[in-house]
Amino acid sequence: MGDVVIHNATGANLLNGIVSSFIRKADWLGRVGADVGIFEVDENSLPIVLTYMKPSRVVLLNLFRDQLDRYGEVDVIVEKWTQALAKLPRATQFILNSDDPGIASLGSAVKGKVLYFGINDRKKFLKIAEHATDSTFCPRCGKRLEYEGMYFSHLGLWQCPSCGNKRPTPDVSVWPTALPGLYNQYNTLAAVATVTSFPIPYATVKHALVGFMPAFGRQEEIAVGDKKVKVFLSKNPTGFNASLRTVLEMGSDHILLVLNDRIPDGRDVSWIWDVDFEMIPKNTNVTVSGDRVFDMALRMKYADTGATVKHDRDLSQALHDAIEMTPKGKVLYVLATYSGMLEVRGMLTGRKIL
Amino acid sequence: MTKPVKIAWLYPDLMSTYGDRGNVLVLAKRCVWRGLKAEIVPITLETSTATLSGCDIIFMGGAQDRQQKLAGSDFLRHKGPVVKKMVEKGAPALFVCAAYQFVGKFYKPYKGDPIPGAGIWDLSTEHPGDQAKRLIGNTAAEIINPIELAGTVMVGFENHGGYTTLGASMKPLARVIKGGGNNGTDGYEGATYKNSIGSYFHGPLLPKNPTIADWLISRVAGDLKPLDDTLELQANNAVR
Repeated sequence: MGDVVIHNATGANLLNGIVSSFIRKADWLGRVGADVGIFEVDENSLPIVLTYMKPSRVVLLNLFRDQLDRYGEVDVIVEKWTQALAKLPRATQFILNSDDPGIASLGSAVKGKVLYFGINDRKKFLKIAEHATDSTFCPRCGKRLEYEGMYFSHLGLWQCPSCGNKRPTPDVSVWPTALPGLYNQYNTLAAVATVTSFPIPYATVKHALVGFMPAFGRQEEIAVGDKKVKVFLSKNPTGFNASLRTVLEMGSDHILLVLNDRIPDGRDVSWIWDVDFEMIPKNTNVTVSGDRVFDMALRMKYADTGATVKHDRDLSQALHDAIEMTPKGKVLYVLATYSGMLEVRGMLTGRKIL
Repeated sequence: MTKPVKIAWLYPDLMSTYGDRGNVLVLAKRCVWRGLKAEIVPITLETSTATLSGCDIIFMGGAQDRQQKLAGSDFLRHKGPVVKKMVEKGAPALFVCAAYQFVGKFYKPYKGDPIPGAGIWDLSTEHPGDQAKRLIGNTAAEIINPIELAGTVMVGFENHGGYTTLGASMKPLARVIKGGGNNGTDGYEGATYKNSIGSYFHGPLLPKNPTIADWLISRVAGDLKPLDDTLELQANNAVR
């Protein structure tokens, strides 16, 4: 008991962030006294990071288009991952999402043991496919995939009618989710699958998940007087759609959207047109702010859902007004890009992190 | 007018990477807000060429490499010749990003043989090598052609490695104010031919440039009632 763990907990997931987490645990001679390292790694940095470490487990959640202006394209990343993962030794085990065709297909490229996690619940299928769908073509032969149903984006029960490539049967598919939202169901299943690949009893897993607190910006709840503000980091079309759907399912009628275009957000804001804002019902109060307030306000104008939309370029004013408008005992839901999330959080908790 | 304005959206599942949907949404809404009917017609691999040729306005957007290969073979063989015929007859069309390169004669990658384009337009694109600067960032340009739009400042975001050169029958769309434009050297951005427009300003070009949207619609529907574009112009101004 009591292993020393190195972890890049703040979400600094590039090579320098991972190295920093080692430095923080090092003594004055540079010795790192730790037993276990757990790292969240940026998709583009994964091949670079893997040249420096041979992990015992690699967990791959999904691949959505995210900050394309920095990294190029999803396909390019899959190609780089395939090459990097194929080099890992037989001892490295993989925990892969069976419902993401691109991720699941990596299973045939690696030497080590593979465990799959996925959702087997047809009741959770989407009624209509979302627009922001990345990969509905077979990663092996390039033909259009057939889906029995989709959960969100391109995640679902898929098969290729042409080459026979199909969704592997998940080894782990049932576990109560630690947080609301189908994407958190996936995160939970991935965590459980990873743990079951080690000799750890289920009771320990259960205990750990019950005490789980969301990281900042990931559905964090902040009390403001007799109201609450819940912040959802929403930085790409798939993430935004998932946050929006979760927020609407929770019965939200007061929403603040914050769109920034700084380096950590991605400079290009074109992706907002791939988000299905059309799902926001007309009895909703939407406030819009951020560096690119007019772009987001324009997106809401053309979504034309009848929702009440106000915009203010000054984020602290917009946040103030949105909280004012939210009735007592109710929750204001904030969907923000990365730097916007940090700003909102800083304003509410009285300290800035940026 | 009782017949709906039919907006053909070429390959919404393959050539739609950077919010390209914004263009067809804006075209449709700006018709509807004026009391015109509008219909967005998705044209993909399985759609017949008859459905395409029954449309009034054409839009085609950006793509990733793998998706463009899939769309590419279908476009070269089936849909491309139909689009060429429609463009020659004066159909309004908008080609952005990858589509802008693809309607040209060829794309010459840094390594390997040139990839044939659809030959709808007289232009060609070349990748100058992996040491050359990729043109990325917010952009602005002053439109010079078509004449009805001259003087309008268009804004957007570009992200391309290919450098494009226009042939003799093409007119440049705009003069670059901010950004790299067609090739980073001659100071021009985009191209026009008859009633078709092409640009490197990728993804949602029309939301912040409503005058271009209205120009395309008016080729089909004639004179248009003005709309309140305060928000559109604020978004446009913010990028300049």
